[in-house]
Amino acid sequence: MTAALLTLADSRLPAGGHTHSGGVEQAIAAGLVHDPSSLAGFLLRRLTTSGAVAAGLAAAACGGGDPAGLDDEADARTPSPAVRAASRQQGRGLVRVGRRAWASPLWDALPRAPHHPVALGVAAAAGGLTPRDAAAAAAYLSVSGPATAAQRLLAMDPLTVAAVTARLAPEIDAVADAASGRNGHVCHRDLPADSDPLLDLLAEVHAARRDRFFAS
Amino acid sequence: MITRVEVVARRGPGGRTVLPVVRASGQLAVRRTGPASVHLVATAFGPLGGDDAEIRLVVEEGATLAVRTVAAAVALPARDGDRPSVQRVAAEVAGALDLRAEPTVVARGAHHRAELSATLAPGAVLTAREQVLLGRTGEEPGRWTGTTRVVVDGRPLLHTTVGLGPGAPAWLPPVAPRAYASTVHVGQAAGVLTGDDAVRLPLEDGWVATAWGAELHRVVRAAEAVA
Repeated sequence: MTAALLTLADSRLPAGGHTHSGGVEQAIAAGLVHDPSSLAGFLLRRLTTSGAVAAGLAAAACGGGDPAGLDDEADARTPSPAVRAASRQQGRGLVRVGRRAWASPLWDALPRAPHHPVALGVAAAAGGLTPRDAAAAAAYLSVSGPATAAQRLLAMDPLTVAAVTARLAPEIDAVADAASGRNGHVCHRDLPADSDPLLDLLAEVHAARRDRFFAS
Repeated sequence: MITRVEVVARRGPGGRTVLPVVRASGQLAVRRTGPASVHLVATAFGPLGGDDAEIRLVVEEGATLAVRTVAAAVALPARDGDRPSVQRVAAEVAGALDLRAEPTVVARGAHHRAELSATLAPGAVLTAREQVLLGRTGEEPGRWTGTTRVVVDGRPLLHTTVGLGPGAPAWLPPVAPRAYASTVHVGQAAGVLTGDDAVRLPLEDGWVATAWGAELHRVVRAAEAVA
């Protein structure tokens, strides 16, 4: 591991992730998240579905997979327009900062507003990281942002929320291992495709609201 | 047990669909029930854990095919070990395929894997419906894993895996439904529509509608309401 991984997973990296709640804002509105234990359940749900998909795509993009083809695979795994828009917004933000941070010709192969996991994989490669690192960053980011959003929206104790996230470490590692465990070039169709229709529904209801604090 | 089904639909004289290939072995038989429709008929109990079924459907340009089943399938656990039962549907569509099976009921202790892999030519029409109930009446839920991959003109349009039941990582209270229904359609576009535990999402020239809840008949109605 190198410090580039810490930079990539740092919530202070100005890639725009802080404006997204990863569905937590709507989950709170729907009464599904209201305390540390329901937050832990929500995060696990997110980690094992969209987090696993992101980890697979990021690992493949870092390992030299064709970014345009992976971006198509990301679209196919993200049928919700609201989730798609959030992913592309964050991907674009990451490209903006990543290009400056880690100069590499790899960036030029990306579509204009790529899905975030694909951009993350390219950033990891440009920063000299491995596919396993890219998968770990993707898996971690799938819960760290939503956890912070929940803390802010519910005025939860920051120490409690930090503990909730930290206790997910074994599950985050497992998702990253599974996503990068398939050595060499993975056939795109074999990448994880785990989905949670509940998260899609929450995202679409959220996108139609006018009184929201977070972009997603 | 190994089950293999193959049906080929072809545009025949006068534009009518003919079925030059209708083959089945193992646990399913195929009955022609209309000019362009077949029913799959279970010839044995199950599927049981370890059973492997592959259904290959080819609908050539200008042809239409409707595929139905006659009754719900009850997936039962393996007699020994905990192997899942697997059903793969591989569809190659240049015409129009309408695939609507009766519900799959997954008994306690069973794990059923359902895969739909559809490869569509430009302009092809697809409707594929899935209905799932975990556990028979009064029974603990079984486990179901469903993967849908639709590729149109070489580009992936939809690829999702939904895991339901004990052991599925994202099947967590308070939203751990026993009943699930999903329909994917390619051929006519539709926008986002949300309901109570139901959502329709747009695809290029199509949509996917999903609903979930405690009781299958309500879930089926909810899915139809957003379809």
